[in-house]
Amino acid sequence: MTPKSPVSRAPLSEDLTELRGRLSALIPILEQKPDWYGSVFYERKASKGFLANLKQSQLSDQISAGIVLRIYDGYTLYEQASDQVDPESLKTIATEFAKKVQNSAPFEGAIKRAYHGAKWSERLSPGLDEEITSQIPSDVQADTFVHFGIRYSEDPSSISGNSCLEQLKAIVSRCRELTPKVGLNPDDLTFVMARQNFSYEESIFVDRETNMSQALYRLSLMIITMSGADRTFCRMGGLGGLETVRITDEEIVDMLRNLKALKKAERLPPGKYRVLFGPVLTGVLAHEAFGHSQEGDTCARGRSKAWELHKSGEVVGNEHATILNNPAIFRNAEHDYAAWGSYFFDEEGWLSEKQVLLDKGILKPPMTNLTSALRLGVARTANGKRESWANGVYTRQTNTYFSAGNKTLDELMTELKDGFLALHPAGGMEDPKGMGIQVGISFLQEIRDGKPTGRLFKGPAGGDIQMTGYTPDILNSIVAKSKIEFNSKEPDKAQNPFNDTGGCGKYHKEFVYAGCGGPYLLLDNVILG
Amino acid sequence: MPKKSWTLEQLKKALSSRKDVKGWIITQEHVHRRERYFLLDGNALAIDQDRDVYVQSILARIMVPLNKPDRQGEITKKLFPSLPLAPQLDSAVAAALQTDYQAWSLPEKIASPLSDLKTTDPRMAEDLAGTMNDLTKRVKDCTAQKRPTVFSSAELFLAVHDRELHLSTGLVHRSSQSRAYAEAAYSMMEAPRSSERPKSGTSVPQSDEYLNMRWSVHLDDLAIEEIFAETTDRAEHSLDVSKPTTGKYPVIIDADVLATLFNTHVSQLSAQNAYHGLPFVKPGEDLIPEAKGDLITMTLDPFLPFGADTTVLSDQGIEQRPVKVVDRNRVITTLTDKQYADYLGTHPTTARGNLVIEAGKLSHADLTKQAPVVMEILQFSGLFADPNSGTFSSEIRLAKLYDNRKGSVTYMKGGSLSGSITENFANARFSREVVKRAQFQSNSMQGSGYFGPAFVLLNDVSIVG
Repeated sequence: MTPKSPVSRAPLSEDLTELRGRLSALIPILEQKPDWYGSVFYERKASKGFLANLKQSQLSDQISAGIVLRIYDGYTLYEQASDQVDPESLKTIATEFAKKVQNSAPFEGAIKRAYHGAKWSERLSPGLDEEITSQIPSDVQADTFVHFGIRYSEDPSSISGNSCLEQLKAIVSRCRELTPKVGLNPDDLTFVMARQNFSYEESIFVDRETNMSQALYRLSLMIITMSGADRTFCRMGGLGGLETVRITDEEIVDMLRNLKALKKAERLPPGKYRVLFGPVLTGVLAHEAFGHSQEGDTCARGRSKAWELHKSGEVVGNEHATILNNPAIFRNAEHDYAAWGSYFFDEEGWLSEKQVLLDKGILKPPMTNLTSALRLGVARTANGKRESWANGVYTRQTNTYFSAGNKTLDELMTELKDGFLALHPAGGMEDPKGMGIQVGISFLQEIRDGKPTGRLFKGPAGGDIQMTGYTPDILNSIVAKSKIEFNSKEPDKAQNPFNDTGGCGKYHKEFVYAGCGGPYLLLDNVILG
Repeated sequence: MPKKSWTLEQLKKALSSRKDVKGWIITQEHVHRRERYFLLDGNALAIDQDRDVYVQSILARIMVPLNKPDRQGEITKKLFPSLPLAPQLDSAVAAALQTDYQAWSLPEKIASPLSDLKTTDPRMAEDLAGTMNDLTKRVKDCTAQKRPTVFSSAELFLAVHDRELHLSTGLVHRSSQSRAYAEAAYSMMEAPRSSERPKSGTSVPQSDEYLNMRWSVHLDDLAIEEIFAETTDRAEHSLDVSKPTTGKYPVIIDADVLATLFNTHVSQLSAQNAYHGLPFVKPGEDLIPEAKGDLITMTLDPFLPFGADTTVLSDQGIEQRPVKVVDRNRVITTLTDKQYADYLGTHPTTARGNLVIEAGKLSHADLTKQAPVVMEILQFSGLFADPNSGTFSSEIRLAKLYDNRKGSVTYMKGGSLSGSITENFANARFSREVVKRAQFQSNSMQGSGYFGPAFVLLNDVSIVG
């Protein structure tokens, strides 16, 4: 047996290690009244972006850092956010903030729901992933500094700007060099861009029962090729090291082949079709279906049909319709790095854990943040997220996906027979109360007798295609699902389907990262237009 | 206040004294935001979250010479006054040296005094907390009104952005901008009258909702009572809907959609697109090929009072003035800031501003009667507009179908619409009613503004039901 190599994890920076020691002193100021629950969240995201195109090579170096002081008085969550974190400013801001909350009064008729913070014993659920429990000392107490660091193989902080830009320029050149392989000329590529981002994301959460920090390395790589108005892209990434961003010539050739075919793509006549969704499209469907309407704050606002259907036990999909949300994917399918939407704890200090949102068509309790869990009277989950420290907290999705099935991709293609393969997403939108759904598709690949014909189809007006419909109808139209390792007949060894890089803009504005993936999903008789 | 290691003046001196820096642009911004989320708790209005946010940032865009002819390096970096200055600048210059741009130079300092523009609502500038309390009272009054619908939730965001722009050429400009956002959601619960929607054998009552959102710079343009009234009215009709029949329709879209479409499409008129080989429509060409309807006249107006992109200066220090971009469908200007003017060997033009589209002659009521059957989109679920192809598509959240043969108006929901600016605006008819619209991303320095027709009627739009 070869000895296991030591695990490398992202550390908390020295200056933040010093800062976290000072934050506990703010809690008594934020809990001046016995009914108040005080907490502090600090976040720093330091990101480096590298970009090469046919004309330029660019580098960006951004930092967003700030602190959120929080008082929950049983009625309202008050937050005071600032980028001033020196000790003197913090004490002054906290004192003035507490005074302001003291002078606030709830509206007449408001209902009080007190909260006093969960002890470690209440946080340590048996379902927690080993990646989390292995980083918590066995004798953990309220004053223990617990740090969670993302595991990585190839240290992304060691890469120089010069070498990264050289690699990206090489990818841009490679895109041009490979054009003859698909019958294009290099000059047919009117725009090529390769962009890599590395973000070092550190956060600290402190309340009277915990003092936690986490450090994540987030990497992504995106290649765009264009010919006139036609565009194809390839996107990858995850949480870990440089192992998360590797592109092969086969992937570039695939992009170029699609770009060439798009120049001759036909327009899809609107109608009902049989379609095989690839993993990213499946992820969008899960996210928009019983994703958004299973967000606790949407339920608490009276804006979710899922909350009504959960209480009535209504069946809203067939036996294939199982949807999960999981911020604790630290091994992404067969890859040994974490999925894009993962973290160890959310921005309100709740530890990440897998949650079933829809079980064979039956709705389970929703995801929550602190105030929505209290308002709905359901369990806390680790879904309190914000765009940045300067934005408010909402219940947000992390990695949302369908459970895996038992078919290989070849078997699903045979079962599809005549229809379309949809692999390339173009956004999506939920309708949490009306239960409509919109899943955008960049283009469709025609399949005849289980084989690609090489013909591509765009939307009826030459743009994206939208799959729309009534969510329960679509969840009842699922015919079959693939395994996680869909190219193998062997039983899956991986625990979770692959989740790709994605994002989500809730209520049309607040943007957060979200993993987007799942198995292949065969759907019958769905509306495309 | 935290202990500062250096001041803005010291930063400017330090940058100017460096031989390895050829130019710089400093943007300092202070933002104060107030935010409240409202919902119904039992039968009472409650504030779920109440937020107060202060953000200060200093961004330095630093240009450095490279050892290559006609090339330069550039970096934009956030600088922290609490940390020593010299290591931050050394790190920024080192990063800039790794990049590779075609060289360009900052413009000469502007001699004439700059126009004074209306960019901030004085109520927000003077007392943000007091303004939030006043608006909260108006929200409370709106939710207290007896309606057939049920209030679900609302959000109010207010912000004031104070900004300073400093260029190595000596130009200094100070400005401020207020931003306000309101949303309201109402639900309707009742037995359906003519719904074609599958009911999944339900014991749960039929229900649906309407969510309405609006951004503005001036509070008068936010019109909270109007948002609430429109929201409840549309929620009331949200259950009495049918699915549209698949086909091609004359379709009316509103100013919110027009603003999104044209603020996206205008990139095809920019020097940036021309330089990078992206889709570009050059002066002399038609914006809409073979247009026969109301021919579009479009101005980029950075002077529009309380517009989302009202500014007297571009980020690169070019004075901005209203400029006609499209005249009766003919493109006449390429939008060019200094950097791309140098690249393409042209002169800089206005590159920032609110999109102003000339109104038509027909009223909204006239537009609904222009064909035997006209579909009016009241709201899309999620409009996706492609800046490269000019195409757009979305599920239909709520629409009205005017059947002028029967004299009936019915509500529609579901299905999707696919359109193309170049095809479906060919016979466009713009309304004579005009409105102002604004859109901001939460953490961006720049918004998208619109002033123009409240509605437009498009031709032959594909709808699948």
